[in-house]
Amino acid sequence: MAGMQRDWIGKTSAGLVLGLGLAFALAGLAAWCGEGPGAPNKTQFVMWLVAPIWLGVQSLVYLFRSGARAWIWLGTANLLAFSGLVLCRHLAG
Amino acid sequence: MSRIVSSEVVRIYKGVHTWTGVIAGLALFIAFYAGAITVFEGPLSRWTAEGEPPQSIPIDRAERLIERVLAERPDAQAEFRLHLTGPERDRVYLAWQEGRKAATQWTAILDAEGAPVVAERPTKGAADLVDHVHRTAALPGGLEFGTTVMGLVSALYVIALVSGLIVWLPSAGKDLLALRLGRGVKRKWLDAHNLVGIASLPFHLAIALTAVVFGLHDSIYAGLDRIVYQGQMRPLMQASNPFAVAKPDARPAAMLPPSELIERVRTLEPGLRPLKLQYRRAGTRGASLVVWGEDRRHLVRLMGFTVMSPVSGEILDTQYLPGHQGLWSRIVSVFFALHFGTFGGEPVRWGYFVLGLAGTFLFYSGNLLWIESRRRSLARARDGSGEHIAQRRDTRIMAALTVGVGLGCIGGLSLAIALGKLLHGQVTHPGPWLWLGYYALFLGSVIWALRLGAARAAAPLLLVSAMATLCIPLASLLIAQVPLSQLFVRSGDAVVAVDAVALCAALGLLWMAWLARRRARKGATDSVWSLSEPSPLQPNPTAIHQHRESIHGQ
Repeated sequence: MAGMQRDWIGKTSAGLVLGLGLAFALAGLAAWCGEGPGAPNKTQFVMWLVAPIWLGVQSLVYLFRSGARAWIWLGTANLLAFSGLVLCRHLAG
Repeated sequence: MSRIVSSEVVRIYKGVHTWTGVIAGLALFIAFYAGAITVFEGPLSRWTAEGEPPQSIPIDRAERLIERVLAERPDAQAEFRLHLTGPERDRVYLAWQEGRKAATQWTAILDAEGAPVVAERPTKGAADLVDHVHRTAALPGGLEFGTTVMGLVSALYVIALVSGLIVWLPSAGKDLLALRLGRGVKRKWLDAHNLVGIASLPFHLAIALTAVVFGLHDSIYAGLDRIVYQGQMRPLMQASNPFAVAKPDARPAAMLPPSELIERVRTLEPGLRPLKLQYRRAGTRGASLVVWGEDRRHLVRLMGFTVMSPVSGEILDTQYLPGHQGLWSRIVSVFFALHFGTFGGEPVRWGYFVLGLAGTFLFYSGNLLWIESRRRSLARARDGSGEHIAQRRDTRIMAALTVGVGLGCIGGLSLAIALGKLLHGQVTHPGPWLWLGYYALFLGSVIWALRLGAARAAAPLLLVSAMATLCIPLASLLIAQVPLSQLFVRSGDAVVAVDAVALCAALGLLWMAWLARRRARKGATDSVWSLSEPSPLQPNPTAIHQHRESIHGQ
């Protein structure tokens, strides 16, 4: 693991932007999968998912070797999650 | 573990832990200290007599009470509550409020002739203040702004918890139970910090994550509406909003008597103990009734409830009735219960109280470690400047803030609570006076500590907060106005417990004052805790030194 960079700005911003993005996308997947978003009080449960996912990413983002790697990996994850969300919504709607 | 978490990772996460901790620590100290007290909000408001139920009448007269109050006070028709009191919950009084915010609370019972007796209810000064301080750390700018800031602070707190765990992992198991008291001050504080942090980690994670959601839920919902629900979230939420089940219908209609409505809820769920009946649009076909109650067998929010029609007696919604909730509602209730400690009864409450106070120690010791790792020690840095080495200014400021904010909060809350009892019945709205007391002691302590420095301020401020805390049992004695021997017979257990806890706290603070005085006089001189330290308001002495040198050099 040689050459681990601090890169506070790169990693922190990746967590703030892509961590939050991933959290909303995964919460959205949970909303549209299974019973669908209309199940009683499911909106509340979905809301509760966002903060733990975002802060999980924000806490662990500093494990990436550099800010650039954090942006690439989390960006890919966002792309997949949002594609899944659009697909789920399309299938359900 | 050391193979998974390399030394580089530890180094980076030490940075993350330090800075999230330093920024969030003081606000979290306040939130935790006040939060530990809010666990016992019920006993506390009974102690100040603010929570003492108004006069009540037997439940079989409730129907007449509702009829008469509605006839004479049209302002109660939109919404009023029938509170069930007494050990058997078979006595009632009626309450409603005027206006949504800054509301005046009214209560009503019937006199012997059956005429309503209406009285203004005093506001809950002390309990409300403690709750507000818990949610906002007493930041100015109102409840909404304060809770949003505390939501962000709690986000830093989650990151501090995870990073602290990562930093600790390589030494996991080795150091946990070892309090190396003999091996240097820093080692001792680090071991204590780790022990408390790791032992109460699940509690802290639950509190931190729920606090983020409580503080930021409006923004999260707004984001979800746009990103996930394509602007269609409101109708979805409205569909499962229990308060919107009954549709308004203004045609007049007779309502069933309260005792019968309670009986119907009992038939549905015998485990629910009803505490209050909340009527909306009473006397119309579109009336709705929310029956609030507790059920100790379930993890609930503050209370469970069911919605019914007071006209037909039909149950309309059980999404929030313990044991009858849907899957999602049940899961979310668990999150609430984990934050409030509203499960398992008294043992869990005491557990949350102790863990809350232990939390304040976590933030206090975290700040001490920050200061200690920036300490200039006499042995390491003999630069010929004489006997004394002044500490860095940032550590002097941090030490002063740690002492001033922490003790200011402790003393301020104690004073406000004692004032709450003394002013009850004398003033209808004691709130502003209590806030004046809190802020006077809090800001006074912070300013005092910043002017004199941590070492000089610590012992006197501990003495002040001990005295303020001692005011709590003293207020009881002053108010009692009965022979001392009868005091404990007359007041309930909860009331005596408040006095006993406050007395213990005051003695503990006095003991700490003695320790702080001894440390300031006899402790190491190369420390922010030594009396020889300059005030934090003064710049670094080395800077003056260099300045002099430059003058001499010219």
